[in-house]
Amino acid sequence: MFSDPWGFFILNPFTNVLLLIYNLIGHNFGLAVILFTILIRAITWPLNAQQLKGARVMQDLQNDKEWQDIQKKYAKDREKLAQEQMRIYKDRGINPFASCLPTLIQFPIIIGLYQSVTRALAATPLTLLQLARTIYPFMNAAAIIPLNSRFLWMDLGRPEGLPFPGGFTLSFLPYGFPTLAIVVALTTYLQTKLTLPPSTNPNDQTAAMNSMMSIYMPLFLGWLVLNYASGLAIYFVTSNLLGIFQYAMMGRVNWRNLLPTGSQPAPSKVKKSK
Amino acid sequence: MKRSILISFVLLGATLLSACSSAASRGTSWPGLTADAKNAYLANGQYVYAARLSDGSKAWQYSVSNGSFYSAPLITPDGQLIVGSIGTDQGLYSLDPSTGTQKWVFSGAKDRWIASPLATSDTIYAPNNDGSLYALKLATGQLLWSLSIGHPLWSAPVTDGKLIFLTSLDHFLYAIDPQSQKIVWKTDLGGSAAGSPTFSADNMTLYVGSFASKVFAINAADGSIHWKMNTNEWVWSNPSVNGSNIYVTDINGQVYSLDASSGQNSWPSVIPDGPITGSPLLTTDGVVVATESGSVYSLDHNGKALWSTALGGKIYTAPVASGNLVLVAPLGAQYLLYAVNEKDGSMLPWHFDGK
Repeated sequence: MFSDPWGFFILNPFTNVLLLIYNLIGHNFGLAVILFTILIRAITWPLNAQQLKGARVMQDLQNDKEWQDIQKKYAKDREKLAQEQMRIYKDRGINPFASCLPTLIQFPIIIGLYQSVTRALAATPLTLLQLARTIYPFMNAAAIIPLNSRFLWMDLGRPEGLPFPGGFTLSFLPYGFPTLAIVVALTTYLQTKLTLPPSTNPNDQTAAMNSMMSIYMPLFLGWLVLNYASGLAIYFVTSNLLGIFQYAMMGRVNWRNLLPTGSQPAPSKVKKSK
Repeated sequence: MKRSILISFVLLGATLLSACSSAASRGTSWPGLTADAKNAYLANGQYVYAARLSDGSKAWQYSVSNGSFYSAPLITPDGQLIVGSIGTDQGLYSLDPSTGTQKWVFSGAKDRWIASPLATSDTIYAPNNDGSLYALKLATGQLLWSLSIGHPLWSAPVTDGKLIFLTSLDHFLYAIDPQSQKIVWKTDLGGSAAGSPTFSADNMTLYVGSFASKVFAINAADGSIHWKMNTNEWVWSNPSVNGSNIYVTDINGQVYSLDASSGQNSWPSVIPDGPITGSPLLTTDGVVVATESGSVYSLDHNGKALWSTALGGKIYTAPVASGNLVLVAPLGAQYLLYAVNEKDGSMLPWHFDGK
């Protein structure tokens, strides 16, 4: 336990829950990954909601007149600017770290989920041996292994790709046409676009970072899916769709962001100081 | 400034995710090792190496774009060195053992090569992770036929001269007739089998272990089970047959000496010092086993330790004999290959580091 706290507290329980679901639903690993992702998303729903709420409040603050005024007024006095910012936080009951803390808590969960999917797929003798040691005794590992890694047209243990017509090959796409990488990139882009509020403040650095993130993240995740087991892609797609769903449930999805000229600022919800 | 922070953050995330990803798709495992009288052949990641046993120097190394090698290379009766890749190249390569020059490559499988192949006088039988057994012309690597079995095939086939015997992760041991290219019989092993069966011509019996924590003695003619014996943990390795003794190891680290006719264990509690995945190596004094703890043990015919040598790292690969040397390829040790004397376990002065 103490020699491997990560394995004991995160990786092993995650892997076993994933395998338990796999066993319960009749040995369909793709479906197990989807259900496991839903389960994790449900458990972390309050954290996500808190993070989304905190991010929204901070974003709204960027569009607030008083906030913009102090940025201009104390542009050359960083110390005073910081004092004024703290005053506004205090006056309006805003915790500037409210969106960071849930993200930090979720980070090991996301990594754990990612690792548990790859561990369960055990594609080489060494990883299968690691899996054997991960499975709890009551799970009857001998009956579970080998996992059925086929799901739809995919082998979840390998990067996904559809064969090019006529046996055509490309050396930089050794697995064929990367359908799932495109779907992952697209859903990641959609999620970021739909959930990031636009800003009217041209100096809003958060909005600038968000805008860059909406480009980098889809590319990054698409690249991951190109190179890693497609089981991870199932997780990414499910997670992205659930993220959009959660935002929609909270009434925060901004569909107008999908239109080329339709970006509109979300209505400000920041309390005014009295 | 903010842009650079963001890019750094994304790069850090990429690094973390890449680092924490397991070997699911990239594929890492333990080295594959084979030897003849002159060289040791080591498949270890990007390279296949030939190391001279006289002084541990490198005779040659072979690599191929997108290739990754871990299965034990096979020396064929006509003097080829056959090795499969678990990389995206999905190639099965024939090399010249004296120079490392590629003779031919077979790229017709749909997945990676985790198992070593079997070679007869004219044919190579190569099991692939795509669940098919491929029969290739020995001289050229040309595909003769293939047989889809189903689940991934991770172990080398064996033959009695007539049938091909092959275990699968799907829990079955298969007997295949190469003439008709059909499955003659299959026997349920209760769990996956990553090790090969061992054929004994004395009693026409196959001995095989499985993840059901069992060892089976199976009639090679019809697949009926003579006996089965429980082990404490999964049996990963091939059993080693020495006359009437069957030596088996499990991943709990126990070594068993079973009676070939009854399966009774005459070594009730021989547990060296760590899990064992490699097959026991038969020696004149008994058997040599290598443990995950990084040690090599020589056990006499009564299971008593004759010598042990700590090499470091983790040893999953079966020890291999060449003359009076025992060759060991640990994972994560200071060197890739060590040679110890079979009689006393003393290490040779050379170690092979791949350079």
